Amino acid sequence: MKRLVPLIITFVVGTVLILSVFIPPMEGLGENFTLFFDIIAVFAFFLGGGNLVRVHFQKMSRKSDDWEFSIVTLVGFFVMLAAGLFKIGNPGDIASSVTADGSLFQAIYRSVFVPLSSTMYALLAFFVASASYRAFRAKNREATLLLVAAFIILLGSTPFGTMLTSWVPESWSIFQIPNLAVWLMSSPNLAGQRAIIIGIGLGVVSISLRLILGLERTYLGDDNA
Amino acid sequence: MKFISIYFVLLVSLSVSAQTNDNDSTSLLVNDSLTIKIAPPTSVIVEDYKYDDADNLQLHWVPSIDDMPQDGKVVRYRIYQSTNNGSFVLVDSVNFSVNMKKIEGLAIDSTYQFMVSAVSKNYEAKSNKTITIQTEREWINFNLASLFLIALLITSAVIYFIETARRGKELFVRKIAGLEAVDEAIGRATEMGRPILFIPGIHDMDDVQTLAAITILGKVARQVADYDTKIRMPVARSLVMTAARETIKTAYQTAGRPDAYNDDMVNYITDEQFGYVAAVDGIMVREKPATIFLLGAFFAESLILAETGNSVGAIQIAGTARPAQLPFFIAACDFTLIGEELFAASAYLSGEPKMLGSLKGQDVGKAIAMGVIIVGVISITLGEAYGIEFFSNITSSIQSFFTVNK
Amino acid sequence: MELFGIWVAALLTLGIFSFLYKDNPVYKICESIFIGVSAGYWAIANFFDALHKKFWVGVFPTDGSDPNYMLWFGALLGVLMLLRLSSKIGWIARWPLAFIVGATAGLYMMLYFVSNAMNQVASTMRDVIVTSPETHLIMWGETIGSILIVIGVVSGLVYFFFSKEHKGVFGYTARVGIWFLMITFGAHFGYTVMSRMSLLIGRIDFLFRDWLHLLN
Repeated sequence: MKRLVPLIITFVVGTVLILSVFIPPMEGLGENFTLFFDIIAVFAFFLGGGNLVRVHFQKMSRKSDDWEFSIVTLVGFFVMLAAGLFKIGNPGDIASSVTADGSLFQAIYRSVFVPLSSTMYALLAFFVASASYRAFRAKNREATLLLVAAFIILLGSTPFGTMLTSWVPESWSIFQIPNLAVWLMSSPNLAGQRAIIIGIGLGVVSISLRLILGLERTYLGDDNA
Repeated sequence: MKFISIYFVLLVSLSVSAQTNDNDSTSLLVNDSLTIKIAPPTSVIVEDYKYDDADNLQLHWVPSIDDMPQDGKVVRYRIYQSTNNGSFVLVDSVNFSVNMKKIEGLAIDSTYQFMVSAVSKNYEAKSNKTITIQTEREWINFNLASLFLIALLITSAVIYFIETARRGKELFVRKIAGLEAVDEAIGRATEMGRPILFIPGIHDMDDVQTLAAITILGKVARQVADYDTKIRMPVARSLVMTAARETIKTAYQTAGRPDAYNDDMVNYITDEQFGYVAAVDGIMVREKPATIFLLGAFFAESLILAETGNSVGAIQIAGTARPAQLPFFIAACDFTLIGEELFAASAYLSGEPKMLGSLKGQDVGKAIAMGVIIVGVISITLGEAYGIEFFSNITSSIQSFFTVNK
Repeated sequence: MELFGIWVAALLTLGIFSFLYKDNPVYKICESIFIGVSAGYWAIANFFDALHKKFWVGVFPTDGSDPNYMLWFGALLGVLMLLRLSSKIGWIARWPLAFIVGATAGLYMMLYFVSNAMNQVASTMRDVIVTSPETHLIMWGETIGSILIVIGVVSGLVYFFFSKEHKGVFGYTARVGIWFLMITFGAHFGYTVMSRMSLLIGRIDFLFRDWLHLLN
């Protein structure tokens, strides 16, 4: 019973949404689902946010490793919640936009959230360098192909690439690195990408059917739970 | 005095109107010699828009005879609508040389009538009114008949092979290296006494990649429960946390060790992409997991996570359906599930015949795709090279069959 | 105040960069601030966007439009989700989860099938011999490219075949498929490297220009 009802829900909702594509009066169901999902996700945040608070309080009370940093996390969380809910420092009244200029919420967003986020993102420059080093130590034929393709595309987007093959005559212009890079992107790259994309399309059909038919059901828990 | 004021206001508004952009001004004759007179559009026809929920109509017209791109007399067409025999109001406008418009957002219980006008810089020529019409509702979209047929074929193939396997027929499935390594990867963590880190991507449960990750988690957690290995799963979405907890709990119960399950195996970090990455990177360097699964929807963070995991010496099994992130997983991880392999993984890992049957079913789809592409390319190439229309028509027919315009 | 904001941003930027050297207390502080602040940020953003704008305004519209009663169903599912907190009736929380999984599977099955499978198959069916519109001579670069697209797509699909062993001709074709996939990955890799460098330049620019005023 505990598991049968969710299985029926999954089956009925999944089947109806598949059929809704072909039935015009039902075509708005997909949009409704998106709205429902957003609303459910907000309610679910009480579980997620609650977990965040509980985990860090637990760390503090048990004096686990690095428990001091849990204080920082909780202060950041509650300050942001308070700044947003009570619209602290907002130039207008309580009805004004939460992200209004001059509000504490917006100030923290600009001075703390944005720089932290951009810097984490910028770390990619270093990681891409170390990954390139590893990838470029080609171990086999496949890795060599990856290396060569990456190198051509990389060179093709720099003035150095243009300079390197500028001596190639116009009648053989396809072998000039920038042109070769364009060709590589629009032909072999497109082919590989299409194969992946078609495969994904079919893979999604298969996994969706397994979920709708109830073959995949571990996420629904156990009857005894 | 009052009349002088009114005259002055009128004069000013006339001169302003003459200068304003055409978008919302109605035509005014300022100076007859400067007026760019144009003919109105003709044969304005309104008809039901096919295969909708009675909320659209289709409007066509023959453009004004003065609508010629080279002289640019007609700048746009305006569409006027009368609802339930009310007055005509401007509802939309389209650029010159356009001769049709889908009118959206209508109601089934109202009547509508339309008029289209051609507009020059300072003149507007209105067409005759159309007939009065009501929208109609269609219950089945026959435009999607080909989609229905192909989807039915592939769905039937998947279900057929699931059923065939369920009845006991042996089905062959080739080895997938990344999935063969799962057992070894979990064993390694057990031997080393270090945790397994399972990262299900950064999207929520409304992404099918996350669903794939959760189904794989079911199989991984079952082995983890059997081996009594420690699993750690930080997540970026509250709903994923709930689903993952149910999944791991089920795995422990199925393994007969419900007491060993603990909700703290899965914990919510933050919805923010890079905030989550900062935390997971921290977990990686501090807890030094022996095995890391990176399965689901990943974006720019894929490389940061995979490189950090690599730096702590973990064996990494990654998989995503985002082609742009796959190269980074290939560069930094030990095994990568490419696109379709991610969706096949849970079926493969379960080893159950009915699940493997579904993989054979999706192969039917691939066979159809390959066959159709080969036939289509050969026939159009022959058709174009030798001017044989029959061959070109074969490809056009296949192409229109496979092109879905919703 | 603005100067204070710049200093905070600059110190946090350096704190995150310090992770490249090794894990350290400064990074841990930055990480903890980031987790707390960003979780709070998204809680508020989702509260105002989904719960207020989409749900509350939807069911109690102030602009005279009809209330969307369907939204109550979404709220009901949300409330059921919270039953997870109860040890006795926590299992009811599986219903909204089942709803989400069923809807996601149903909705995306058709979306992916159309955009990924059907439309891609249709666009691969092209005349592989490409001629110049002016001279009508064969353009070899484009023609070879078109032929490679067909070979690449077909061999790539062969690689993804699950129910047949990669042996003999089938195995060789799958091998060719892997080569195409590797070229695709390489191309994506090379394409992304440059854009990632520009991210770093952006942060360095902030530190040297906005914070230290060393650049004009």
